[in-house]
Amino acid sequence: MILVIAEQRDGRLNRASWEAVAAAQAMAGPLPVKVAVLGSAVASIASEIAGAQVAEVFAAEDPALSLYTPDGYAIAVRAVVDATTPTFVLMPHTYQTRDCAPSIAARLRKALITDVTGISGTGADATFTRPMFQGKLAAQVKPLGEPPFFVTLQIGAFRADAVQKGGHAPITPVPVHLDAAQVRQKPEPPFQEAKQAVDLSQAERIVAVGRGIKSQENIAIAEKLAKAMGAELAASRPICDNGWLPMERQIGSSGQTVAPKLYLALGISGAIQHLVGMKGARTIVAINKDADAPIFEVADYGLVGDLFEIVPAMLAELEKA
Amino acid sequence: MTRETLEVDVLIVGGGPAGMSAALRLAQLQKQQPGEPLSIAVLEKSREPAAHLLSGAVLDPSTLRDLIPDYEQKGAPLAVPVHTDHVYFLTSQRKIAFPIIPPPLQNHGNVIISLNAFGQWLAQQVEAEGVDVFTGFAGQEVLMEGQRVVGVRTGDRGIGRHGEQKPTFEPGVDVLAKVTIFCDGVRGNLTKELLRRLPLGTGRQPQQFAVGLKELWEIPAGRIAPGTVMHTMGYPLRSEEFGGGFVYAMAERQLSIGFVVGLDYQDPLFDPHMAFNRFKQHPLIAGLLDAGSLVRYGAKALPEGGWNTIPQPYMDGALIAGDAGGFLNSLRLKGIHLAMRTGMLAAESAFEAVRAGDSSASSLASYQRRIDASPVRAELYPVRNVHQAFSHGLLAGLAFSGVSLLTRGWWPTDVHGDAGHERMHRINASTSGAPDLRPSNDTAIDRRLTFDKVTNVHYSGAAHDEDQPPHLLVHTEVCSSICGPEYGHPCTRFCPANVYEIARESDGTPRLQINASNCVHCKTCDIMDPYQVITWVPPEGGGGPQYNGM
Amino acid sequence: MNEPDAYALEEALRLRERHGGEVVVCCAGPARVQQVIREALARGADRAIHVQDDRLAAADAFMTADALAAAMGDEKFDLVLTGLQSDDLGQAQTGVILAERLGSPHSTIIMEVQAEGDALRVKRELEGGWFQWITMPLPAVLTIQSGINQLRYATLKGIMAAKKKEIRTAAMPPDLQPTQQIVSLAVPTRAKTTHMIEGSAGEAAKDLVRLLREEARVL
Repeated sequence: MILVIAEQRDGRLNRASWEAVAAAQAMAGPLPVKVAVLGSAVASIASEIAGAQVAEVFAAEDPALSLYTPDGYAIAVRAVVDATTPTFVLMPHTYQTRDCAPSIAARLRKALITDVTGISGTGADATFTRPMFQGKLAAQVKPLGEPPFFVTLQIGAFRADAVQKGGHAPITPVPVHLDAAQVRQKPEPPFQEAKQAVDLSQAERIVAVGRGIKSQENIAIAEKLAKAMGAELAASRPICDNGWLPMERQIGSSGQTVAPKLYLALGISGAIQHLVGMKGARTIVAINKDADAPIFEVADYGLVGDLFEIVPAMLAELEKA
Repeated sequence: MTRETLEVDVLIVGGGPAGMSAALRLAQLQKQQPGEPLSIAVLEKSREPAAHLLSGAVLDPSTLRDLIPDYEQKGAPLAVPVHTDHVYFLTSQRKIAFPIIPPPLQNHGNVIISLNAFGQWLAQQVEAEGVDVFTGFAGQEVLMEGQRVVGVRTGDRGIGRHGEQKPTFEPGVDVLAKVTIFCDGVRGNLTKELLRRLPLGTGRQPQQFAVGLKELWEIPAGRIAPGTVMHTMGYPLRSEEFGGGFVYAMAERQLSIGFVVGLDYQDPLFDPHMAFNRFKQHPLIAGLLDAGSLVRYGAKALPEGGWNTIPQPYMDGALIAGDAGGFLNSLRLKGIHLAMRTGMLAAESAFEAVRAGDSSASSLASYQRRIDASPVRAELYPVRNVHQAFSHGLLAGLAFSGVSLLTRGWWPTDVHGDAGHERMHRINASTSGAPDLRPSNDTAIDRRLTFDKVTNVHYSGAAHDEDQPPHLLVHTEVCSSICGPEYGHPCTRFCPANVYEIARESDGTPRLQINASNCVHCKTCDIMDPYQVITWVPPEGGGGPQYNGM
Repeated sequence: MNEPDAYALEEALRLRERHGGEVVVCCAGPARVQQVIREALARGADRAIHVQDDRLAAADAFMTADALAAAMGDEKFDLVLTGLQSDDLGQAQTGVILAERLGSPHSTIIMEVQAEGDALRVKRELEGGWFQWITMPLPAVLTIQSGINQLRYATLKGIMAAKKKEIRTAAMPPDLQPTQQIVSLAVPTRAKTTHMIEGSAGEAAKDLVRLLREEARVL
């Protein structure tokens, strides 16, 4: 059985959990897929998940789980795992998972493979692909020892919309007995803060400008496009060197390395120093006047033309929602 | 601001073959002649030892045998002995083999090495002796009291790109020494300062240089036997340009190729990097590189002037060794063994001086006597005029070299050479005014065999902290006034790393843009700028290329 | 030195400046990690523990954490700081597993550390610009987010002093077993065919938006 641990906060399911469910369904082979939800009141989330094609949903509830703590979740997940005996336990590689998964695996002395981008094979023979050396190499890894094997999945590596729906899974409560003394961390409620630094590595979509933008004033049109697409604005090196955009927006070997779902390069030639910072993006679009620009070698979609004509046309099209 | 001071007996600036040999020799002398222990410090600007070392290279192991007789047991990385020598004259499509290998280019008994790997090994030997090697520390300024050198100030660290002090600011340290041995490499910034402040060049000819560009390639097995050494002349250089190419087969599948160009060419539109690309396009070279992949790229200047251009290498409180002094045999294309030898000899004089409590110029003059009595003079003196002879053209140079081999270097007078940058011609009126002058030796880039500079630089591993002031100081406004019409901004062509670019203001006025982060520390700009207004100073310690395997 | 670990070391040095005490650097690895240990000592750590074994060069997080815990043994550290993940394997596990082996509470991806008597109050980073303060008793283990402070330089004097600082070598426990196996390694290649969109600017733009919506599904 493949067990997915879904993640929720304040009664809202983290979308990445669906990615884990999709991955579990794809790799399960003959094994059933079941999902567990932890929290203090998870009924509505459990129902939501039960609508997918899964064999069962486990609801592990306890008042002490209303705010996440690593100790609390380690105890609760262990209770679920002990009660259900899965072969694999899948979780999305979120900040929360990074905080508790190693703890759980350590307490059970079971293998943990993190940040997985691909799964080959099905059932008990599956092997897992994960990045090494910050993405420069890809390793195929197998867990050793006895199940359950814990696996965390890179956010965005599996598609949430690939989940097979149309199920009516039963929801089973799993008793978790949390003694307050066992939870050593005392969390305060999470809060939001405007982050001072731009973190492009978290952006799902990026619109980047290069020398082809010609002047600082012209960046405004790229900004408009970014806004319309729900994207962050970034730049190749020369733009930041000129001071047209701050250094934190630079992508490349001397700036940030990103792997968003969408990377749209406007007027960027594709010097190798830039490519190493973005070639891991899932979908790359390149718009450039020069048909020989190296950027087209890594692009999924390429347009040879004048960005000052193409971008306004795109904006018009995007407005027709 | 209070600066820390560190007092040592001997300070060695530069952790290359000269500096490391000096350090090792000092450690040996201490053991051989026990007494008051010497405190020794080595300053090296690269983050790791040998990271900035680059050469072809074919090593003459004679000095190594003298310095470390058991070098084999100690695992010296002498990759492969030279097996076969070839010398070719190239035309654009063909190669003509020299019927006899000119004796200076006969490499029997020599070894092909990676200077970077060799330098790392030397550093390990030095560290095993307990000598402090401070990597990531650049020598910024010579400290003097009157005419006496008393030490070196290291560069400040933690300065932002507008000159402001960052929270991590650390002022440079004044390292004071009884004797300072300057091994700061070709056109070393500190040696350059010494030459300016003291009359060490009196009676010597102006220094002359070349630039070497090099790539490391991985090629299919079986194509060329390891131990093969090739040198080429002719294409793509014209008679008035000095230089040539080299190919060294280091190991199965590993090839070192490069091109050397004298920094005294006359055509302001000439681009040494383009010449390297053209060299690679020649059928002989293209055939070797076919289906291979580029591993690493780098560039460095070489001191070519020879014996008559070497300045007085001793002064009150200091000595100069290695490429910094110009101890390189440009006819044999070898300088590593001479750097090591002069490093050792400098160490011997420094040791004596410290023990005797006298590091004055007259005491340290023993260094010159040691050089004169050593294989260094025996090798360099007979060929002292050769490089200068090539300024009269390739044929004259070859003829002169041939004659001087027979006469053992005798010639009625010493041939005079000029500083290379003075030979650059101005562009003629018909080409002036063209806004973006392409190199005169332009060729098409295919990004498989040949590359543009920006792509090449990526393979040098050049990395600098971005948030620091540019370390290429340009002292005047010639870039936006007379340089365009007179020379067509040659810095955009002679720099092998695309550090210099000309941007245009809205009214067309040229503006110099410095991409300091690309710099590979080759010193070509400091040497070749026709107005001599560029000064290379070390960037914050630790920055620069990463020449693994070079 | 692993970049995230450098920030952990810097945080430890700053905590020592504020609260006194001793900074001990621990490292598990073959002989060559001595260089990293020396660098840490040069930046200001007081002494070091080196679990030396060639097998540790290819060890997984469980083996590394177990080796470290065994070497740290009887020393009662008040606070253990690690980087949040390594530059090579990037598993983000060792620090947390170490906490379990030491029996200490932990928290990860820490942006700020406040020590108050016997307790710690730390600020944890969450997704999307969210943060959370957590209190826990000492002794504890924290994994530190990169960039939370500015790394100091190792000074010349620091480098020289480092040579005289103690490095205690410890042996790796003999019975540690790997929990995972790398079956193969490859340079990731993407089978890519570039779809060049033809037509006038207006037509191509329309096509592109449609493809991004319907085919690539990124809008």
